[in-house]
Amino acid sequence: MRRPRSSRDLRHARWQAVLAVAAIASAVALPVVLVSVGGGVAAHELSSLEDTGYQLVVSAAGVHGIEHAHLDAAKLRSLPNIQDAAPILSVPLDVFNQSGNVSPVLAEGVVPSQFVPTLGPTESGLFPLPLPLGDANDTVHYANGTYTGPAVYDVLLSSTYARSYHAHVGSTVVLSPTTNISLGRRYNVTGIFGTPLSLVQPSGAYAALLLLANLQLLTGYATGPHTAVPDGADTIEVVVAPSAADSPGALAAVAREVQAAFPSYTVTTLSSEAAQLQSADGVLTGFYLALSSVGLSIGLLFLALILVRRVERERRAIGIRRAIGVPGVSVAGSILENGAALAGAGGVAGVIVGWAVVQGLATWGSSTVQEAARLAEFSPAFLAELVAVVVVLSALASLAAVRAAWRVDLLEALR
Amino acid sequence: MNPDRSAPSIELARVSRTYGEGTAEEVRALRGIDLALVPGAFVSVEGPSGCGKTTLLNLLGLLDTPSRGEVRWDGSPVGLRTDRERSRLRLERVGFIFQRFYLLPTLTAEENVELPMRALRRPRAERRRRAAQLLAEVGLAERARAYPHQLSGGEEQRVAIARALANHPGLLLADEPTGELDSVNARAVLDLLVRVRADRGATLVLVTHNPEVASRAGRHLVLRDGSIVADRTGA
Repeated sequence: MRRPRSSRDLRHARWQAVLAVAAIASAVALPVVLVSVGGGVAAHELSSLEDTGYQLVVSAAGVHGIEHAHLDAAKLRSLPNIQDAAPILSVPLDVFNQSGNVSPVLAEGVVPSQFVPTLGPTESGLFPLPLPLGDANDTVHYANGTYTGPAVYDVLLSSTYARSYHAHVGSTVVLSPTTNISLGRRYNVTGIFGTPLSLVQPSGAYAALLLLANLQLLTGYATGPHTAVPDGADTIEVVVAPSAADSPGALAAVAREVQAAFPSYTVTTLSSEAAQLQSADGVLTGFYLALSSVGLSIGLLFLALILVRRVERERRAIGIRRAIGVPGVSVAGSILENGAALAGAGGVAGVIVGWAVVQGLATWGSSTVQEAARLAEFSPAFLAELVAVVVVLSALASLAAVRAAWRVDLLEALR
Repeated sequence: MNPDRSAPSIELARVSRTYGEGTAEEVRALRGIDLALVPGAFVSVEGPSGCGKTTLLNLLGLLDTPSRGEVRWDGSPVGLRTDRERSRLRLERVGFIFQRFYLLPTLTAEENVELPMRALRRPRAERRRRAAQLLAEVGLAERARAYPHQLSGGEEQRVAIARALANHPGLLLADEPTGELDSVNARAVLDLLVRVRADRGATLVLVTHNPEVASRAGRHLVLRDGSIVADRTGA
């Protein structure tokens, strides 16, 4: 049986409302996902920065730009207000396990006694302390500028690598600068360490920690006993005395002094890195919102279209209301109210959908996406603002419908 | 301030209404009508299709304005009032009943009856109470939650009558209210209108083709080609 027209009208009106809510919801879900995840990742990185035990980073252009790592670190320690300085060489290596499986890892060469003070409270908990690398000061093999001493072939592996390749304390691996195992050297695994999650910096998921001199030799930056070699590193992490570290002004003064002592290197404070990170986060958030505004505009245009369509379909209903005595302002108000209600419902639905999408990504996304999604931060203030903006903008979207309703000829509508 | 709900005394002085004036489609719906309605009158209006009955009702109920002449409510010309003021007068003092019911399809019977009260910003509880009372009065207490498409024609018209009565209007304008109903429903609706008019002392102007309906009115107008050709009194 054919459904009566008014029944179809009712169903039609409901479907239109559902579609409008869905359009707004999908438009709102996008910024919810982007800003929540992006903000969460930035906040995590910021917190990681604040969690470090050092305050200054001395670096040079090029991966191994610091040519006298041991000496420069010692020179840094001699400056006023400097408590510790730890040179670090970061190089990708290939690791062959006992079964012959090869995997790339990020290797860091450190001087254990200098490296440990640069660890923040969280990082310290990830390492076996004291670091079981055999030569706390990296002096035996480095031997005052030469590589004549007996090398300690000990290595610490990250827990992620150890789990994947069944490495454990007491096992051995071959570290090689290339996939050619014959260029490598066998190391004893003397410890396993955890790795902090980082999504914007080189990840240490598969990582190895060994003595700086060993890594320099292994990667060719020291070419062997009795040769003139660059004592390479890429950064020196500097721990400032607490009296200077707690004051931004004093820290900046120390940074200037370090810069004056090492004019060819770049000196950055962690607070400036944090500011850069925050600035980058601000730019990204702006970009996310700009991107989302496209979706939101489409959603609001859709809402406008539905409201205009509804006015066209409801010309008679508008005429009836006006005939009863409902003033035009009230009819316009009810359209605005209707638009705001649909936008509000869409906004709230969008927040829920966005939240659900993030939970879905945290459960079923690829590993990096999962990690990023788990860091998502849902700021109630941001979400409330987002919904409020959508509701306010719905007034603009309703204007065309209000105009159409205002122009409805009462008598014609009742004919 | 409480709204004035009394039945207005209405005068039409040499009122003409022309649609599409000066165009090829010009239609002279009313031509120089003079008419006075006392409060509480029951007037039936009869005439062939297109003779200007609905136009007359629209002018009486302030839905339309004359092309020439003057409509006065309680002695004051309504043409001087703004659209907003005329809307207010309609809302407070006029109840319209249309031939095709004109219920809002997306509202239930109860919500349709509440509509004029909502426009007057009556409290929700009062609206609910009055809507229930009016629906009970028209015999539809059990159908309050039904949508218009779930009602029969007679039921729809009774809901429309309940809606027209919602704000206690002093003037009821019914445009062929039984035109789309079978004889049983038509009689029930007519009885209802006559009863509520008698109960409330409202003016009732009823357009009809039905001689029986016309015979129950206290005054009977016959329109032809936009003019009143007969004006009889006495039921």
